[in-house]
Amino acid sequence: MARTLAMFTDTSLCIGCRACQVACKQWNELGMEVPEWTGTYQNHEHFSDKTFRLVRFIEEPKPNGDLAWLLMSDVCKHCAQAGCLDACPTGAIYRTEFGTVNINQNTCNGCRYCVSSCPFGVVSFNHDTGTAKKCTFCDDRIHNGLGPACAKACPTESIQFGFRDELMTKAQKRVETLKAMGFKEAQLYGADQNGFLGGLNAFFLLLSKPGTYNLPVDPKLPQRNVMVDSLLSIGSAVLVGLGALLAFRERGRNGGDHA
Amino acid sequence: MLKTPDWELMIVLYFFLGGIAGGAYFTAAIADNFGSARDRRTATVGYLLSLPLVAACGLLLVADLGVPLRFLNMMRVFKFSDPMSAGAWALGVFGLFSFVSSVLSLSSSETALAWRRRVGLVGMFFGFFLASYTGVLLSNTALPLWSQSRLMGALFLASAASTGMAAVSLILFIMGGEGLGKVKRADRYSMLIEIVVLAAFLALLGSAAQPIVRGQFATLFWVGLVGVGLLIPLLLDLVGHRVKPLGALAALLVLTGGFVLRYVVLMSIQA
Repeated sequence: MARTLAMFTDTSLCIGCRACQVACKQWNELGMEVPEWTGTYQNHEHFSDKTFRLVRFIEEPKPNGDLAWLLMSDVCKHCAQAGCLDACPTGAIYRTEFGTVNINQNTCNGCRYCVSSCPFGVVSFNHDTGTAKKCTFCDDRIHNGLGPACAKACPTESIQFGFRDELMTKAQKRVETLKAMGFKEAQLYGADQNGFLGGLNAFFLLLSKPGTYNLPVDPKLPQRNVMVDSLLSIGSAVLVGLGALLAFRERGRNGGDHA
Repeated sequence: MLKTPDWELMIVLYFFLGGIAGGAYFTAAIADNFGSARDRRTATVGYLLSLPLVAACGLLLVADLGVPLRFLNMMRVFKFSDPMSAGAWALGVFGLFSFVSSVLSLSSSETALAWRRRVGLVGMFFGFFLASYTGVLLSNTALPLWSQSRLMGALFLASAASTGMAAVSLILFIMGGEGLGKVKRADRYSMLIEIVVLAAFLALLGSAAQPIVRGQFATLFWVGLVGVGLLIPLLLDLVGHRVKPLGALAALLVLTGGFVLRYVVLMSIQA
């Protein structure tokens, strides 16, 4: 595998211009969706088969009664332990040499198991193609050294793309700087490769707790319990089987054979 | 923030019919191998019932895909630890066993029946698999209702057993009732196990059970599954196990409950 590529989104630099959201739509030729009132400036409310990049607009009440305006450009996390990839029964979802996770549109048969296996609600089903869709980090662009469209379009370098190890160093320095400036809650989300899901290849610098951004605090790989579930099912099968065995072995009593 | 896969009525029906197919088959195999000579007819009914059901299951699964013709793509991969992949394969293998057992059931020669017993003994493991993997499949998603108890597979299996046995008993009733008693008794055991597993399931889910125990699906869950699907048929069996029409009614209620279980589990968080 080549050196892992990653995306670092520093939300403290985001100005909410949505250039990333538009660039993503245009480069990936994603169709329009009818906007809906979400109660904030945010549109759309969720990721979809036509929205891979989404700027979240969050108003957080501060102790003094004011509102803090938190902006966060959200995207597929390209998890090191990816639930969608583990769920895929056709092999359509694969990991590239850069560590990103893609869906092969010619192989996907639209079973939608990946949709329910994403801890972040990213993967979406497209009814026109009958397949699952999500961000690819602009696979065509990164294979030609261009970097994803969103990162290219970002005017404040809130979205940075590059080698994961280099971005990590940058990100950690930035947290220290922000903390020194008084942003006490400044923290990285998904950066730690020993943390949840083996680390996210799209990681974030947040100015508040993950929950404020509607991010799961401790996302888990959905498939982590498949053995336990199977063993419990086998247990249930043994009980049911023994019951049937008992019923069919008993004879003559309580209306057995002659009933 | 989490997304649901939009597995709606076709998948509800698939889970329901697949459960009956698996349950009827392993009941047949147990009756065939461990019952008396008079239970052979019960076994025949179970095997023959599983075949059209598993065929319907295959069609439902393929029809629900976004690109149905690409169902073959599931056959290019075998992922043992992935319920969707292993389940697709198991459904195919189970169909094969169901077919062979059904063909052998058409002959009355002793050799064929001896082979039928042996085939059933192996095939029943795929029956158990088909009856439970759908639950394990749900419990390995990111959705709390499906995944936070570890018992969805165990629950689906017990329900598959009770519905499979109910379906077999209903057919035996229509055919005149011979051999009904043992199937009904096995069904009672399965329902008792199902009630225990369901209680543990709800307890382990805790607040994640909200979508089914409260709100618009609660009535269906408590009345349709717990009442009509489990408690009333058990009561009917207790009071009227010598009155065959009551037993048949109980079997119908059990089948209704089996459908309601899968309907509520799938639709409550997707509707």
